[in-house]
Amino acid sequence: MTGNGQGAMIAVQKTKRSSSANQLGGRTRSVVDFGRAKRGGSSPEASTPADASPVIVSEGLTIGYKLHRERKKLTALRDITLSVNRGEFVVLVGPSGCGKTTFINAIAGLVEPWEGKIEVSGKPVTGPGPDRAMVFQDYALMPWRTVESNIRMPFEFQNLGLSKAERDERVRRCLGLVGLTGFERSYPYELSGGMKQRVGIARALVCEPDILLADEPFAAIDAMTREAMQSELERIVAKTRQTVVFITHSIDEAITLADRVVVISFRPGRIKEIVDINLPRPRFDCDLKTLPEYGELHDHIWRLVKDEALQASRGAKR
Amino acid sequence: MSTIGERERLSSAEAAEDGRIEDDEWTLSDAWQRYGSWVVTVINLTVFFCAWELFARSGAVSPLFLPSASSMFSALWEGLTTSAPPGAVISGSIRDHLLYSLTNLGAGLLIACVLGVPAGLLMGGNKYVERILSPYVWALASLPRIALVPLFILFLGFTEKMQITIIVMSAVFPIIINAWAGVKTTEKSLLAAAKVFGASRRELYIKVVLPYTLPFIIAGIQQGIGRGLVGVVIAEIFGGSRGFGYLINRAADTFNSALMYAVLLLLVIVSLSLIQFTRWLEAYVAPWRRLDTV
Repeated sequence: MTGNGQGAMIAVQKTKRSSSANQLGGRTRSVVDFGRAKRGGSSPEASTPADASPVIVSEGLTIGYKLHRERKKLTALRDITLSVNRGEFVVLVGPSGCGKTTFINAIAGLVEPWEGKIEVSGKPVTGPGPDRAMVFQDYALMPWRTVESNIRMPFEFQNLGLSKAERDERVRRCLGLVGLTGFERSYPYELSGGMKQRVGIARALVCEPDILLADEPFAAIDAMTREAMQSELERIVAKTRQTVVFITHSIDEAITLADRVVVISFRPGRIKEIVDINLPRPRFDCDLKTLPEYGELHDHIWRLVKDEALQASRGAKR
Repeated sequence: MSTIGERERLSSAEAAEDGRIEDDEWTLSDAWQRYGSWVVTVINLTVFFCAWELFARSGAVSPLFLPSASSMFSALWEGLTTSAPPGAVISGSIRDHLLYSLTNLGAGLLIACVLGVPAGLLMGGNKYVERILSPYVWALASLPRIALVPLFILFLGFTEKMQITIIVMSAVFPIIINAWAGVKTTEKSLLAAAKVFGASRRELYIKVVLPYTLPFIIAGIQQGIGRGLVGVVIAEIFGGSRGFGYLINRAADTFNSALMYAVLLLLVIVSLSLIQFTRWLEAYVAPWRRLDTV
């Protein structure tokens, strides 16, 4: 715990030093301060596409796991208070094992909170529902099902009151949206990683959920395909206007996609800082990485994450 | 790894559509790539049996122990195509005994599947069933089955029932253990995905766990066939008046080495064809595993 606190302090000091040394720092500060101001309640220049109504509300959320063998409890997340507005793209960044996945699982209704509450659309989460869908790092496609059958799967488990024709139409539309028309009858093992994840995204979109949860969806995809997938996701979400909670280890990916980046500290995960990303959209088209703000945001988030990542990589004991 | 990736890309419909796959000239080296292993196998076996024939005819070993390959084949052919004369030293031809053994093996494997698959699935799916059954399963699975034969003879006599019981006891444990392992190793992310998309507990089992476990069950049956065949022969050698084991025993007793070798060859053929069948079945129901394990 003490190590954790020190790490945070060093990070803050470094931030201050660099921003005062940097002439362009003013821009960064305003970006970062805007995040704080917004959480404080007043947001004079609300340029995010999100409207004000929060769709996911987490208050004092604490979740952990039982380690039966060692007769211990492991707290994965501690005291997470965060609200995500409708249509907002929130990216969680943090070292391995900081509880990001636990948080997303709590929204999905796969794990129950120990303390605090988690609400979706004003109702406490009691289990999975068709208003939320998830994209998985390892795609999690059923290998015995064709592409089309995988995408159709959510309909088999959830009765949305759609007719067969409507369901077919949605499957067809989602296939088109991710650019997989013509691959209906292929099996996942016949596809490349990028294409598999397109299937994963289509499956998540087919129920037209309010909230799209993504747990490092592009982590196993090669760097070039990954950038292409990021722009596709941005395009898709711009079209569907979904709320997205997205986990990544890549700061570049976070800045490219996010309206807000939530930096989470190492075990037990707490929110270290929330960074607003006020960069123009669509971002794939506007050479994002050449913008001075981009470098500043990257530096800022990296400083926040660095100590946590070091701590995690040293294999800090639970 | 690169070959798998290559194959993945080539097998995709995209490649065919945009013209990346096109007709190629079929050269001799392509034909060799495709059929070479078959040619080698045929030549290999021909050389083997010819060498055997020459060696046996040279008289270095008494034909009592090593018959010529040709006499073995003719004994096999005769035994499969004609029935034994009424007054023969050994009652029934190979054909009759083959049929008897295969019927018993089939019945035994069927019972082993009917008992083993649900037992394995239950053990994988319910931790209480698992805790209660696993010591017995491991105990019986690790016990050499041949040690149980006298017990079953004591209970059931020299009957078909005894033989089938031994086959079941031999085949059921690999089936149980594989089905159990299949359920246990079902990928967590597949389960999580099904849950997120609203699967009930029952749907989770039927639509995720069961299809995932199917190739494991087939692998279990494959092992079960091998073990079951051992069980058949053991049971028939120990006691009985019909089947492969009996025939091997009688052939040895009557110094009919050609017949004995013919039965051994037939056993190899039966075993290999059954295993090949299950391999084909596995490739058919779970094509994704073939690529995984390449």
